[in-house]
Amino acid sequence: PLDASASGDVSCVDEILKEMTHSWPPPLTAIHTPCKTEPSKFPFPT
Amino acid sequence: TASMEPSSTIELPDYLIKYIAIVSYEQRQNYKDDFNAEYDEYRALHARMETVARRFIKLDAQRKRLSPGSKEYQNVHEEVLQEYQKIKQSSPNYHEEKYRCEYLHNKLAHIKRLIGEFDQQQAESWH
Repeated sequence: PLDASASGDVSCVDEILKEMTHSWPPPLTAIHTPCKTEPSKFPFPT
Repeated sequence: TASMEPSSTIELPDYLIKYIAIVSYEQRQNYKDDFNAEYDEYRALHARMETVARRFIKLDAQRKRLSPGSKEYQNVHEEVLQEYQKIKQSSPNYHEEKYRCEYLHNKLAHIKRLIGEFDQQQAESWH
């Protein structure tokens, strides 16, 4: 039923779709917690 | 000396060796700085990868609804090929970018996890 050029493309299109429809996990969010200052109450052992 | 590595071993990603459990606030800050240094690049890459994937996922869904051999089916095929050509032309390094995006995602996720674990330890030790 398909003409020559069309049937030749089928496996190629399958390959492309297989490769390019790989879905991405949601992007990582930034690190928000400041935590720049050490809590004064807590003596951190070094 | 180290030339006898068996070819079957998979090398650990560098960030697993470089970034280990955090034990000080200074270390935490350094890790956070490293995270931030690559975060913008990562987000830009990720956004681009998502846009591309979304386009192909849409075409794939369209194709699934059509019967093979129909004119519409053939049109979708051509569109897929055109889109793919377009990407290859506009970003010849697409595959490297994709790999880089995956790498950055895993690396930054690792750093973020270490920071999260450290923060949790600190929070627990205040009680």
